[in-house]
Amino acid sequence: MKRLLRIEWAKISSYNLFRVILILNTTLFLLVLFVFSRIDISIPGFSWRNIYRFPGIWSSFAWVASWFNVLLAILVMVVTGNEFASKTFRHQVISGMSRNEWLAGKGILITGIALFAVVLVIVAALIYGFIFTNDLTLPVFFENTGILIVYSLQAIGYMILALLFIVVLRSNALSIILYLLYFIFIEPVIRVMCPPEVRIWFPVKIISHLTPVPEFFQLASQSENINPDTLTFEGIGLMARQLPQSTNLIMAVAYIILFGFLTWLVVQKRDL
Amino acid sequence: MILETKQISKRFGSIVAADRIDLSVGEATSYGILGPNGSGKTTTLGIVLSVIKPDQGWVKWFGKEPAPSSLKQIGSLLEVPNFFPYLSLARNLEVIGRIKEVDLSEIDRVLDETGLLDRKKSRFDTLSSGMKQRLALAAALLGNPKVLVLDEPANGLDPEGIAEVRNLIIDQREKGKTIIMASHILDEVEKVCTHAGILKKGQMIASGEVSELLKMDDVIIIGANDILTLKKIVEASGLVKNITLSGNHLEVVLARGQDVSSINRLAYEKGVILTELRVRKSTLEEQFLELVK
Repeated sequence: MKRLLRIEWAKISSYNLFRVILILNTTLFLLVLFVFSRIDISIPGFSWRNIYRFPGIWSSFAWVASWFNVLLAILVMVVTGNEFASKTFRHQVISGMSRNEWLAGKGILITGIALFAVVLVIVAALIYGFIFTNDLTLPVFFENTGILIVYSLQAIGYMILALLFIVVLRSNALSIILYLLYFIFIEPVIRVMCPPEVRIWFPVKIISHLTPVPEFFQLASQSENINPDTLTFEGIGLMARQLPQSTNLIMAVAYIILFGFLTWLVVQKRDL
Repeated sequence: MILETKQISKRFGSIVAADRIDLSVGEATSYGILGPNGSGKTTTLGIVLSVIKPDQGWVKWFGKEPAPSSLKQIGSLLEVPNFFPYLSLARNLEVIGRIKEVDLSEIDRVLDETGLLDRKKSRFDTLSSGMKQRLALAAALLGNPKVLVLDEPANGLDPEGIAEVRNLIIDQREKGKTIIMASHILDEVEKVCTHAGILKKGQMIASGEVSELLKMDDVIIIGANDILTLKKIVEASGLVKNITLSGNHLEVVLARGQDVSSINRLAYEKGVILTELRVRKSTLEEQFLELVK
């Protein structure tokens, strides 16, 4: 494991595009948080700043971070695609690296990037959370932190699907275009054509719903006269029916395993 | 036996890239694989190096099924040098060194051996094609492997570079390493290899010791007072398998079992006076061209 980590690090540590994409991801995430933090909508009973306060900050920041998961997926496609374009994957195999080890290296890369993304959310949440939260207690601080694990799973889901695209297509440009088309156009169109009870089971729907849109009205509500359960997007008809979060989580893990298995299968079977 | 293959075959669509190829390479021998472009040299090496899966047949390295552990004992260069373009030479070799689990201090040694030590920190994509080829050789030499598998090792090199690479390979051979080398530079194989196999359209059409392959088809140069008559007589005799009129003399390749004296006897019996009769040792190139014709 340590050896594979060192090999992956040797490959990416001097790669400028890798750094550029990570910096872009970080900058965009922090920029969005900064811009939203400057907005102060405060009407009686509602305060926008509540989404910057513990414990709601974890889910709202994880949701904002999830906007940029596609960048992380592109990063995986670029790094892996280079190994096909320059045939270094082949050179590694003839030098004694097994295909399974190569794939494990990619697993380490994906986990490392997901870890980076989660650490970014934690650091940002700590900074903003401590600035905006009054009367912070430990239970409030830790409430809802499970969303960080869910967010890391979501980032892994995006990236492992990207890995499948690149090992099948072996072309950076084609993989990135088809991946984006699949997310933005292909799956949504197929979903629209399916009955409502089927469309909630599609992979992108499942994985993207891991960090659902935070219930802003609930988070922002300060009124004691309003029942928070009536303030959900689904409750007020702004969002279509979703799977329960636990079912959604199990399905996301199943999709991650499936994409991982398909990637393994392609890597094992194909000539290099 | 270092390498053994049995009946390995590979098709790409309708193209037969390797057709029931048997190879046997013993320890400390140097084996050359010769063949024109598209004859299946790289496919054969790709199969033995586990990057191409054969449709049938098997490969054994060191008497066992191929495994990453066996590939770590082999230094390989397949087709063109494949490295990360944005990494330095040292970083690229670090990746290979870590895969092979060798001491990373080896990197300086192999860079020095291939004359690239002063470019250690340069990016791979800034190298000339000859330097890239030398880096590929440096990667192959990492870990002091028992076996070197080299596909066109002199590709992209200038004459001086070719001589350097040849000397490097001969030096490795003299250190007792087994060398398996595919090349279309026949002179290269003749100078480096003790054994060779010739591929044509995916089939191994001849193989054996280079000295045997050369002995098989010596060319006889014959001059005569009436060269055209002699040509007709020799052609009709069945003593030769190939005859060419070259200027005012004949170049013939004797049929199996025949020797030069049979030509002399035939000419004497038919009343033709020979003015020249000598044996010219054939080159591997002539053998090769004859076989792949």
